[in-house]
Amino acid sequence: MLTFTLRRLALFLFTMMVLTLLSFSLSFLFPGDTVINHSGQINATATDLAKLNEAYQMDKNIFHQYTAYLQHIIHGDFGQSMASQSPISNEIIELLPATIELSLVALLIAMLVGIPLGFIAAINHNKTSDNAILSLAMIGYSIPVFWLGLLAILLFSIGLGWLPSSGKISLLFEIEFVTGIQFIDILLSDSPYKWQAFNNASAHIILPACVIALAPATIFIRLSRAAMIEVLATSYIRAARAKGLNFQQIIFRHAIRNALIQIIRHVGLQFANLVTLAMVTEVIFSWPGIGRWLIESISQRDYTAIQSGLLALSCFIFIVHILTDFIYAALNPLARGNNHGS
Amino acid sequence: MNLLDIRNLSIALDTPTGRVLAVDRVSLSIKEGEFRGLVGESGSGKSLLAQAIIGVLQDKWHVDADRFHWRGIDLLRLTIDERRALLCRDIAMIFQEPMSCLDPTTLIGEQLSEAIDTSQLTGYFWQRRKQRKEAVIKLLHKVGIKKHSQCINSYPHQLTEAICQRVMIAIALAGRPILLIADEPTAAMESTNQGQIFRLLANLNQLKNMSILLISHDLENLTHWTSTITVMYSGQFVEAGSTEKIFNKPMHPYTRALVDSSTKANLQLPTKSRLMTLPGSIPILQHLPIGCRLGPRCPRAQQKCVSAPKVSNFHGHKVSCHYPLLRDAGKKEAVKHKTGKGIN
Amino acid sequence: MAREKIYQEEVFPSPFMQLWGIFRKTPVAMVGFCCFIFLITLAIFAPIISPYSPVESNLEMLLLPPAWHPDGNVSYLLGTDELGRDMLSRLMYGTSLTFGLSFIVVIFSLVIGVVIGSLSALTRGFKSSFLNHFLDVILSIPSLLLAIIIVAILGPGIGNTVWAIAIVFIPQFIHITRYAVKEEFRKDYVLASRLDGASNFRILYYSVFPNIVERLMSQATLAQSAAILDIATLGFLGLGAQIPLPEWGAILANGLEHFYIAPWTVYLPGLAILFAVVATNLVGEGIRHALKLRKEN
Repeated sequence: MLTFTLRRLALFLFTMMVLTLLSFSLSFLFPGDTVINHSGQINATATDLAKLNEAYQMDKNIFHQYTAYLQHIIHGDFGQSMASQSPISNEIIELLPATIELSLVALLIAMLVGIPLGFIAAINHNKTSDNAILSLAMIGYSIPVFWLGLLAILLFSIGLGWLPSSGKISLLFEIEFVTGIQFIDILLSDSPYKWQAFNNASAHIILPACVIALAPATIFIRLSRAAMIEVLATSYIRAARAKGLNFQQIIFRHAIRNALIQIIRHVGLQFANLVTLAMVTEVIFSWPGIGRWLIESISQRDYTAIQSGLLALSCFIFIVHILTDFIYAALNPLARGNNHGS
Repeated sequence: MNLLDIRNLSIALDTPTGRVLAVDRVSLSIKEGEFRGLVGESGSGKSLLAQAIIGVLQDKWHVDADRFHWRGIDLLRLTIDERRALLCRDIAMIFQEPMSCLDPTTLIGEQLSEAIDTSQLTGYFWQRRKQRKEAVIKLLHKVGIKKHSQCINSYPHQLTEAICQRVMIAIALAGRPILLIADEPTAAMESTNQGQIFRLLANLNQLKNMSILLISHDLENLTHWTSTITVMYSGQFVEAGSTEKIFNKPMHPYTRALVDSSTKANLQLPTKSRLMTLPGSIPILQHLPIGCRLGPRCPRAQQKCVSAPKVSNFHGHKVSCHYPLLRDAGKKEAVKHKTGKGIN
Repeated sequence: MAREKIYQEEVFPSPFMQLWGIFRKTPVAMVGFCCFIFLITLAIFAPIISPYSPVESNLEMLLLPPAWHPDGNVSYLLGTDELGRDMLSRLMYGTSLTFGLSFIVVIFSLVIGVVIGSLSALTRGFKSSFLNHFLDVILSIPSLLLAIIIVAILGPGIGNTVWAIAIVFIPQFIHITRYAVKEEFRKDYVLASRLDGASNFRILYYSVFPNIVERLMSQATLAQSAAILDIATLGFLGLGAQIPLPEWGAILANGLEHFYIAPWTVYLPGLAILFAVVATNLVGEGIRHALKLRKEN
């Protein structure tokens, strides 16, 4: 297990290096002065400019510039946003937890809906329910997420009036900012309206989370169906049937565990897909997350914000990927061995 | 009394070109305490037959029989679930590659205790767990695994094939079966381990009076351990009888060819002479010959062999051939001691 | 009089013909395939078939509902948008933009990705491991995010969108080709060719490619459906096709302003995107299903 952890850690450091290299090179690729792209101070005077050049070591060669940039990142200094002139790190700390909250809830919904449906489809292989689930999955996979969001708002918010259509929580509730994740903050605060706030926040999060969760849920349906079909065709399930175990015991004790192991590896990959969908959905539902901020920065040509947002988002995705790798290794005794490459 | 009595069992598969009989009217009977062998090349349908008996075939195969009795109970009248419930208690099966027949993510101890029926555990609820553990250890000792604690706490991929096969036998014994079907249990092992497994099976047969159906493709190996043998070829019944008669006086040309290709019969060949084989190979499912499926390869085939032969019984020695090697039996003894001259 | 076949000759079609035979027998896949061909013809012949021009506006017919609505006009079959432009013609021209461009992008990335991937599959050792990890990192960044970044660098516009999506899909094809070629290289028939003295290029071209081409085709359909969605999303976000280009996502974004009075301006482009993606997915599913059945036979 130790070698596995060390390898994953090395991979993590390597990835961080590549990602920071990527965002560093973006400063050069974006139009405008490089050091201004690094720091975001578009109204810098001459003295400020000199100080910035010193701070980012612009006069030395590119390797020094990169190390200076890395140092700034490690100290938490992402520069200032060109549009609002406020430090980007503050904005990221406020906005990233909201995106984390939304994407994790969506991932949970996608897994809780998709995986059992896929199992049901696999158990009734080649029967009507299997075909029905597959067709629904394909249509769900093909709907563009922004169109689905608009239709959902039209139907549930405006048509039926059940759920709110924008924002994280109603403006009536004042919740202190502790972690940034709404539900934890509500539970930690000692406001007298705790449970109403909780209900309100849940109502706000359901619609965007379901819209995001649809496409990954269909992919999970397909993955779990394939994994379960493969597991049901193996020798040990046949031997278990010959052992005399009844159907329920076989499915719940043996088949599901082995099938889940195959699926968990893909959760990390699907998460990247999910965050992309979350970005677009945040724009539609005005969810104050990092995706919406990033897209706004692009329209406003706020290069520093784009760089830092990209870095933060990719780091987050990669951390989730590594966590799922760990969970996979913990569940699967075979994977703890020496795996070369990925 | 006959434990298992099967008459004219057929297993069919629907292919794009029509219905193909993978197993064509095979008859098999097993008595109590009998150690029977089932011999055939790969592709002869013996595994299919075993799986059909215990009821783990996939849905695409259709099983049909004239008579399918287990201890006097007619299994054809029961539904599949009732059949399986009845048979799973009394018949156990072990498979070919033991490591892949064990769940790779569960400890061996858990898989063993799953197989133990709660009806065998006496005692109150709180004593059950301890009793289960003791029962598991007892089973492991019965199959010859001394270091039971190491075995119980490991995963299948950490053990060798031979130990996994013993664990499979232990799981099979947990249900106290009356018949044990062993489907090529030693195909993935070296010969030293093979001997150990066969000796274990022979012990079980003698000491516990358990009937065993041992399926294999190696006729010579089987003759050491079994008391009766059934031979199959390409899904058809070929010959059945006591081991001694099959090996020394084979009546069917195919059995004769199998016996001739064993090392014992080839000991007296002169140097640089051809080994005795039957030319050709087993037909594939898409191109099965009509009538007797050995026809195209058989040296004694004539026009009559286009229709399937009936089973003839010579004092308990059953043959399914139009031209069995009856009259040559006496001459064959004499021929065996001289040097063989290829196929005759 | 034709001679009847007396002997039952067995016909052994080539693997590709087997695939096509199974594909043809699946009705759902054939429906998808026909829709796919329909969309391709529409994309090519849109300027000739469409009744009106997509950019000319008819100021008398603003926000006309579709023809089946009581207020609709049959000469504007699917209604008009807020500038009086005919929805049907805009959607048809949009086919050539969204669908046609995605097709071209996928073919372009496919060719480049396959070439680079197969060449890199021949490398071994440290270089190969490094490339593996590097590709992993790039693939872990979501494709839309990467496309958005590239568009941010190059600036908005449909040409840059196409370049961005092409650049994003190339690593995916490289990864798939590398994996497939490495898998084939482990098989014995490649070893046999190598023992015969074949050069690497010859092995790739004659032995390996015919065996991986079907897998690549099914991946290409997946990539195409993703490309259609990406082009539409970028158009919706305002980063892709600029006004007045009738790209489907852009039409949808335009229609958002008048959503309540003219919902068809939002429904129709969404339905068009759905149709195109479903057709592509049906073809892809048909190919995968046929591959599976062919392996079982």
